This record gives sequence, structure tokens and C-alpha cells, in this order.
Amino acid sequence: MSLRLVVNGEDRVSRAEPLTPLVDVLRDEFHLTGAKVACREGFCGACTVHIDGQPVVSCLVPLGMVEGREVRTVESLAAAGELSPLQRIMEEHDVVQCGMCFPGILMVLTSFFREHPRAERGEIKVALVGNICRCTGYERLVDAAVALAKRS
Amino acid sequence: MPGQNGERFHAATSLTDAIAALADRGSAGAALAGATWIMRAPLRHERRDLSYVAISKIDELRRLDILDREISIGACVTHAELASSLGSLPECRALAQAAVNSANPAVRNVATIGGNLCASAFAAADLVPALICLDAELEIEGAKGSERMTVKRFLEVRTGIGPDRLVRRVIVPRTARRSAHIRLPLRKAGDYPVAIVSLAATLNPTGVVESARVAVGSVEPVARRWEQLETSLVGHSLDPRRAAEQAERFCGDFLGREGVEAPGWYRVKVLPSLVRRAVLALQEQS
Amino acid sequence: MAIADPSNVTMNLPRRDARDKLLGRTRYTVDRMLPRMLHAAILRSEVASARILKIDITRARQMPGVRAIALSEDAPGMHGIGIADHPLFASGVIRFHGEQIAAVAADTYEQAQAAARAIEVELEPLPIVLTMADALAPGARLVHPDWKNYEVLFEGGARGGNVAWEATVVRGDTEAAFARDDVVVVESCFRVGRQNHVSLEPRAVVASYEDGRYHIETSTQVPWTVRNMTAKLLGVLASQVHVTVPPVGGGFGQKFDCTLEPYAAILARKSGQPVRLVYSRQEEMLTCLCRENAEIKIRSAVTKSGDIAGREAVVLMDCGAYGGEQIFLTTMTAHTLGGNYKLGSVKLASRAVYTNTPPNGAFRACNGVYNTFALERHTDEICQAMGMDPLEFRRRNVLGDGDLGATGQVFEGDVLGPMLDRMEKLREASHSKEPLAGGRLYGRATVVGTWFIFVGPSTATINLNADGSATLITAGVELGQGTMVQALPQIVAHELGIHPNDVIVRNADTDAAGFDLGVGGGRTTVSVGAASLAAAADVRNKILHTASELLQTQPERLVLRNGRVEIAGIEGSGMTIAKAVQHAHRLTGPVVGSGSFTNPGVPAMPGCAAGHFIDAIDIPVFNVHDCEVAVDPDTGHVEILSYKVVQDVGRALNPRAIHGQIQGGVTQGLGYALHEEHTIGEDGCIRQDSLETYRVPLALDTVPVEIDLYEGAPSIGPLGAKGAGEVPILNPPAAVACAIANATGCRVQQLPLTPPRVLGLLLGREPAVELPHIKIVSQLAAGLPPAIDLTPFRADRF
Repeated sequence: MSLRLVVNGEDRVSRAEPLTPLVDVLRDEFHLTGAKVACREGFCGACTVHIDGQPVVSCLVPLGMVEGREVRTVESLAAAGELSPLQRIMEEHDVVQCGMCFPGILMVLTSFFREHPRAERGEIKVALVGNICRCTGYERLVDAAVALAKRS
Repeated sequence: MPGQNGERFHAATSLTDAIAALADRGSAGAALAGATWIMRAPLRHERRDLSYVAISKIDELRRLDILDREISIGACVTHAELASSLGSLPECRALAQAAVNSANPAVRNVATIGGNLCASAFAAADLVPALICLDAELEIEGAKGSERMTVKRFLEVRTGIGPDRLVRRVIVPRTARRSAHIRLPLRKAGDYPVAIVSLAATLNPTGVVESARVAVGSVEPVARRWEQLETSLVGHSLDPRRAAEQAERFCGDFLGREGVEAPGWYRVKVLPSLVRRAVLALQEQS
Repeated sequence: MAIADPSNVTMNLPRRDARDKLLGRTRYTVDRMLPRMLHAAILRSEVASARILKIDITRARQMPGVRAIALSEDAPGMHGIGIADHPLFASGVIRFHGEQIAAVAADTYEQAQAAARAIEVELEPLPIVLTMADALAPGARLVHPDWKNYEVLFEGGARGGNVAWEATVVRGDTEAAFARDDVVVVESCFRVGRQNHVSLEPRAVVASYEDGRYHIETSTQVPWTVRNMTAKLLGVLASQVHVTVPPVGGGFGQKFDCTLEPYAAILARKSGQPVRLVYSRQEEMLTCLCRENAEIKIRSAVTKSGDIAGREAVVLMDCGAYGGEQIFLTTMTAHTLGGNYKLGSVKLASRAVYTNTPPNGAFRACNGVYNTFALERHTDEICQAMGMDPLEFRRRNVLGDGDLGATGQVFEGDVLGPMLDRMEKLREASHSKEPLAGGRLYGRATVVGTWFIFVGPSTATINLNADGSATLITAGVELGQGTMVQALPQIVAHELGIHPNDVIVRNADTDAAGFDLGVGGGRTTVSVGAASLAAAADVRNKILHTASELLQTQPERLVLRNGRVEIAGIEGSGMTIAKAVQHAHRLTGPVVGSGSFTNPGVPAMPGCAAGHFIDAIDIPVFNVHDCEVAVDPDTGHVEILSYKVVQDVGRALNPRAIHGQIQGGVTQGLGYALHEEHTIGEDGCIRQDSLETYRVPLALDTVPVEIDLYEGAPSIGPLGAKGAGEVPILNPPAAVACAIANATGCRVQQLPLTPPRVLGLLLGREPAVELPHIKIVSQLAAGLPPAIDLTPFRADRF
């Protein structure tokens, strides 16, 4: 069987089994390797993508449930090659280390800032409880996010 | 055996379709709501080889209706939707708090109330004690009609609810009560709680408790009411310290489950302080 | 304001790899895909101890998609550090739950898994040696009955029975010190669990077999170790193995060993196709090369005035079923548990003990972290016993210029003392957070720590290109720490007078770069940095020589700055470096330089240390950490209210990057202090098999660390630098444990301090750690206080 979905604005067809985790379809079939598989249990957040605008952990979403829906991955954040304001501030503050967690963190914060553009530090940290970062100790990337919130 | 057409996944378009598909599959089938529990079956060394009927696209199951006397919550309403819809209703605070603090944001966008109720091996489910303390009921829909039952009853029968029936909606009565959901994760957040106390109470005009419901989650394998404590709260004003003392007296009602994350004694030992926090939260809702 | 010279070595150079990481474009090993690539799965033992009677792959071989199956006969070699005790596949005997029995390559991962499950294995169960107490009990079953016949790769350690290795230190006469009538004897016991690295990129490899050579693309910290170890295990020449390293998604020491690469290599050769092997998170949880669980007994004889006349200690380190890194790490007890303080006399024994549990490995600052926890808690117990102020006691006793370390090395410079002063200033600069504790118990502690840079050999080559850029070729790896994209280009650029962005850094490739010990132990900035600096100096000399002829000026009068060769003092004079290189092409050929480095080897006092891989530390690194906590007396939850760090960095080449390392390292340390622990069930299986039960710190579980970088301590590193990435994790468990002890008045003897454990302490239901299996030889009969039995193991005793 085949199944249609919209990925980063493009119509795509997948031939994978409907119970295949969305993240595997994105990575193995569509070669969008930005979303990372780091736990497959919904705790690390590295595979976070947007489905119809909402962040979800794509390791726990079976492909069959995404039929006809709109999926956005980290690869879509820099429209026309321009870094998004969130990406830019993370780069400016030099907060990236190994980088494996950032695709998920960016997807979570992108949707969070859409709803709470002037969020406080504490709210930002609460929004990130589903994203494990093992390198940075969080605070410096939160500093960058706070700086972005202050700009708006 | 998968269903008649051999498919392992069927996206149901209506409740009737879902029930027919489940009936057709019999014991080889299962309903799939948010999928967050079932997708992790392999990690629990459980089977994931059934034929699944996805119910999350059924509009009716995704509705949340706030009516005059009750709130009707479709089985596929997510934790995030619960939190945003109920946040402003004081009488449902326990449920909103349970929804807004469970797991993490990306899981809350997917995980459903129906899934939370049906995951029988999930002792730390947040919504369950919250629903118990709010006297919620469930409507089960099947080929032979629908049946309404309390959450308590549902928890007793849920593993044998049958392949051709599913939770259609949850009904929370609206009464003038205060409620709170106190969960104790081991980290600050992002964990499943090791113990939960959900409390709802109605007060008379002088602030005396007329009725109380206390539900305890995650301490034992299945959440349940704490009747002795409820009785001892009635007839007194909200007094966190006294409530904690009473809880201390009745802690023997519970036998904490041993877990990798926490020993059984710990889950029970923290109950009085969770009760104190719950009563304090009610006090602050004046 | 003057514009900073871009080639100035100290700068907050941003990472060049950040953008692609933010765009989701970086291709880590887990993201690599090759045409015809197969997927591999490992069949692992589900029992901890058994004899293998039969392995039958007949059915598995016929499963759909299966292309190759590897078994023990494909890997005849044994590997290890110190002792070659570890086969690639369990051969004849299963020694731990999760041990590899076979590997399968198939068209899909699911097919490989299914075939692995279809391999029939017949086992005869054997008794399990579960704990170190079991392993050391009289008549204990030997995990390696054949230990005497193993190849010894490094001489000097005492071995015997279930003791894989023992390192000892004896300096001075501790017996006499403990027998003095003017000392107080304080004894402490500690126990810690295992810590998992949880690198977000699991261990992963893609291997191919081309033109008679293995090409291994892998997520590793040690490309040369992977090359040499794979060759040893497969029984082929090391020159037949080629290792390259894509960007690595976190290591923290877990990837400091060769682990899964040989399986993929064998399968690639057998199938003739590229093979991908990536461990699942569950495999990573169950077989991670953890920071080992350990038990520590330590006692000190302290004079009434507060001098430490004698110190004795035994550390038991659980190496699991195979010796691995722990054999090497026995060395570090001398420099950590034996560090920080001036000791009149000292006797230490550090033993790696075999058990039927998953093997352990290296983890950021290794046993230094728990040894520092033990030492600092012991120090506070001494102060409590003697009624001394803990800060005053530390000031009085910390190592200073000319003081002797445990193994008799002479420390250079006063560092810890002035760092304590700096911490005091830092504390004074901000208000106490005690009001935030509310109704909870409040505690604070300041602790010190000694760690070191693991130096050793590195090499670098630099091509100075005709466009004025430089290509730096080393076997260094970028794990996320930033050294390869920040400190190294900064060092090279500084020497060559160009901008760091004009220094191209080649990814590690053992066919291109010479030998390197690998990335770990804070050594990249120091060793790879020193080699790179030497290579840059070589290039510099060559280009100055070329330019000198063109400019008719002595090389000594020329400088390299802003991409130009200039006559000193005359800005804009001379020519561009690019021009000079182009000229060299015609005259002498392309401009290439090389440099090598290895540690000079600081001497220890002869006869003090036995069984040590490192007798004395070349570059000590010191820490002073301060922490405030609030403890909830109802639930045992600990909140970190504030955290302060004064860290000895030698010279901070990129202060912002160092701050990032400190924030990250402290947070990992807080995880180990408060939440992270693997425990082992009766069946020998790790009980925490997921990120649900193994709890790493999340965003709400840390605080912004207040940081003061201490510069100026002696260092043989390039430009006076020291590695800064490893050491931040050294002290948080000590600081937190001491602060909790101060807050609660409880004797804190274990990590992690989870809410149940802390509540157990407060309720008096947490049993005291006593460690009876660490022997005390009774000297009471002689009228002397008891002494720890430190008699070195002799093989004939077993």
C-alpha cells in the first residue's frame, strides 16, 4: 500500500508499513536525517517534528496516522536558505555542542515561541522538559532563547 | 490474523466503522488512539503484532464539549487539548493539572485520555486518579450498544473489555467543587510521577468540607480512592496540617509497588505530604 | 577601541559546525547511508553466566535477507587494556548478561534481528558472581579461571583470581603515623553506582571491505585505537584497517574504546557489502561501558593541629566481566583520592575486580569523580570529628608549590590556595540563596579537586596553501567539545598570522594523519594542540625563509600577521602569505610542516607507585566548586540553589567555549550526584533499560553556573593552555553530597542522592555502608589502631 502525506510543503508518498514510526520514514525513505533517533521512547525529544503545526515525537507516531497531514522537519526551518531567528540566535550565542539534540529543541521552541513570543526563562525551561541535551547543561541555550524572547 | 482484507492498520472514519473493524478482527485487533503506548510495546517486550484500528481521525472522539451539567471528553482528546480546554474551569482543575504536567509537551500533543485509561500496565497514568476524584464516568461503545460505568468499575474490567468495544467518551460532572492534582516526579518534571494524590472537595459557605474525594495514583498498580481519608476530611475546614496527620494515620491502607525508580515504602511515605499540598492548593483556590 | 587582531589567540571564536547542526544537515555516523548497505544486529546473551554447549546458525542462515553471520571463529584475537582478556564474541563461556554471541547482516534491520533470534544457542547455566563482595569472598568462583594465561599488555600490576589488576602507592610509614598518640583516626566508607554516558548518538559504525582493506566509518573518540584493536581481534595487519570519523554526537568517554566496529568489519568482509551497525538505546543502556560502581574505604590520622600525618585507602572498582579501561583507571586513585592535600604518609590500593556483569569503561574524569566525592566527604567527616572549620582545614592542607603528591611527585606553583581565595570572592559577590530554601533544609559546601590532563603522543601536519589558507591534518575528533573547531584553529592561526576561519581542519582519518591517543582526558587542546603548534612553527619557519629572500630581510625581522608576511613594525609592508606560498611552489615546492608531541614524563618518587600506568601527572588541573542546596524533608528532593566554579584552565584560549564545557560538565555531574544510576538485578541484567528509569538531568534540573576561570597555573600545554572540557564533572557530586550532609546532618556515604535515598537517610532507614569485605587487619592486639590490609596481591595466594 502507499500513503500520502505532505512533508515540508511537498506532497510525498511512502510505501512503508503503516505502523512504521514516522521518524524512520523521514530518515530512511525521504533522507531527511535532521530528526534523530536517540531513544524511541518519547523521552529525549531528538526526533521532534511538527504535525499540523504541533510538535510531536516522531518515533511514537505510526506512519498510518499521518496520512494526509502536514509534517514539518528541522530542514524546513530555514526558509529560502535564511536561518530562522531562533537558529540565528543559537548560532550567535555559540551554544551548539555535539548538536544531536538541536533539531528537536529547535522544533519545540519554534512552536512554543509562536504561541508565547515573550516567554520568560522559567516558561522556556518548562517547555524543554521533553528534550534531553547531554552536552550543554541547557542554561546557555536557554540564555539564547531568552535573548530572542526579549527581542520580540 | 489481521482483518478480513489482511491489513494491519485501518484508519477508521466513524465510530460505527471502528466498531465493525474491531469486531471483525476479534482478539487479533486493537484500537489505536494516540499510539504512544503501543508504539513502545517492543521496549516492554510486548507484542505489537495485532491489527490496529486507528480511531484518532473520528471527529466524534476528538470532541470536548463543556455542557451545563457535565463535560464530555471524547476518547481521542489529547492531554494538550484537555489542558487548554479545561484550564479556565475551576471545578476541573485536578484534570487540567494532570494533563498539563504529564510526560512532556511533544507527548502531550499526541497521547489521549482514552489511551491513558486503557494502558492497564501503566501505573503512573496521571489522568486516572484525577478522573476518579472528579467522579468521572466512561461510556463504552460496542456492537451491542453502549454502556456507562464509573472509572473504578472500568479499571476493574478494562483488560477484559472485549475486542469489539472501545471507550467512546469520558463524562465529568460539573459541580461547585475545588480540586487539585499533586504529582511527585523524581526530577522536577518530565518524569512519570512515583506517587499522585488527586483531591476534590465541596465546601459549605463557612468553608467546611461537605464531601471529599481523594484518589491515589502510581502508589499501587492501579489508582484508587482513599475512602478513609475522605471520611476524615468531611466536616472539617481545609487544614493542610490536619489532613497530612490524618493521611499519616491511614497510610497503612496502601502497599506501595516496588519499582526500578522507587521502592514501595517511599511511595507510601510521601503520601501525607502530597495530601498536605493538595489541601493547601484547595485552600488557595478561594 | 582597537580592533582585536584576528590572529590573537584568545578569542570567543564561534563554532564553524554550528550552522549545519542547526539546519539538521550534519551527517553523523547514524546518518550515513551507502548503496547496497546492509544492517546488522547482535545476538546477545540473556543470562549472565553459562557454558556455551552449542551454537547452530542453520536456520538463521536461511532467513530472508540474511547475507552474513559472524561468530567467535571469525575473531580469534583477544583485546584489553593491560590484559588481553576480552574476546569479541563469547567463546565457550558467557560472562555477562548482554554478551555478544553472534552478529548478523541482512538487507533490513528487522531481518537481521529476526535471524539473530533464530540462532539456536544451548547453554549450561553457571553460578553468577554478582557483586565485588561475592567476587572477593573466600572460595569465590573465578570469572576468568584462566587468568594466568592471558597476554599481559602492560607489566607491573598485581593480579590474582577475581582481582584483574591492582595498583598500589606506598609513601612514608603510615603505620607509624596511625600509631602516634597525638593523632585522631577517622575512617569513612563510600559506595557509588554506575553512570551511563547517554550520548545522544549511540555507538554506530558503517564498515566496508574494499581492495583488501577494511574501511570503518565510526562514531569514536579514538580512531587509532579502533584501527589497532580491530586488527588485533580479526587477526589482520593494522595497516589493513582504515578508520575515518564523521562528526560525533557526544562521547563523554564511552567512545574511548573499540567496541562495535569489529562486528561490522567482519560482516562487511563476509558479505562484500557495506554494513551498518547502530546500537539501540536499550543496547546502550544494558551494555554501556559505564563509569564503574565502586566501594571506597579511607582513613586518616590527623594531628590536633590539623595536619594529615597518614592516609590509607582501598578502592574497589567493578570492571565487570572484562578488565577494559578499569585496569588503566586503577592508576587514577593515586592522583585523585591521593590528591588535593599534603599527606605525611600514604598507602593506597586500587583494585579492578571481575564480576559477571556488563563491562565498564571510561567516563569523563573517570574514577576521579567518585574518588573526589569520597575524599571531600571524608575531609568533612575529619573536620566534624575534630571540630575544625572545613574551609580552614582545606586552606591549611591543600597542595601548594613544592608539596609532594601521593606518589612523591613535586607539585609546582601555588594554585589551589589562591583558587580558594577566588571562590571566596565569588561567594561574597552574590547573596546566599538560603531564603529560597523556604521551609526546607539548607546546606552549603565548598570542595576542591585534583584532576589531570592525559597527555601522550599526538602528531599534526599542516599544508600552507597557495590561497593563504592552511589545512590542519590530525587524528583529533570533534565530539561536540569544540576543540577541533575552536582551540586548534585558534592556535594554528595565531602562529601563522591568519584568521582561524582560514584554517581548514580535516576530519580524522588514519590514512591521512599519524598516530594519536585519541580524544579524551582533556588532551586534545594540549597534545593535539602542541603537535599542531609545532607543525605551524615548522610551516612558519619555511614561509619566513622563502619571504626573507624575496623581501631581502632577515627572517628574524619578519612577522606573520593579518595574512601577510610583514617587516616587523611596518604595517602593510611585505607581501601576502598567499604570494609567498606561490613563490615557494616555484622555488622549493609546496609548504608543508609537521609536528609531534608526547608527554615529558614528570618523575614520581622511586618505589612509591606499583602497577600504575601513570606514576606522576604531567599537567594537574584543579577545581574549587561551591554549591547551595535545599532538601525537602518530606520527600527527600534536593534542589540546587546555586552553583559556583573556579577552574584552573592554564590559559583560556576560548573563554566562551570553556564556559559551555563547564555548564555542561557540572550538569552531568549533578545528574550523577542526584539521579543517575544503573543497578543490577539478581539475574545480572542492568535494571534501568530506558531513559524512563535512567534519569539524566532535564532543563529544569540544572542552574546557571557562576564561573571564574583561573589562569596562570603552570602548564606544558601550548601557550600555557590546559584541557578544560573533562574536569568540570569532577566535583559536583562531592559538592552536592557535602552540602546535603551539611543540610541534613546525615552521614552521606552513597551516590546518587535520589529522593528515596535522601528520605531514607532522614528517616534513619538507609543502612550504613560498612564494606566488611575490604579487609581490616586487626592490630589491636599490638595496641595499635586498625589498619587497612594493603598487602599487594600475589599470584601465588590464589
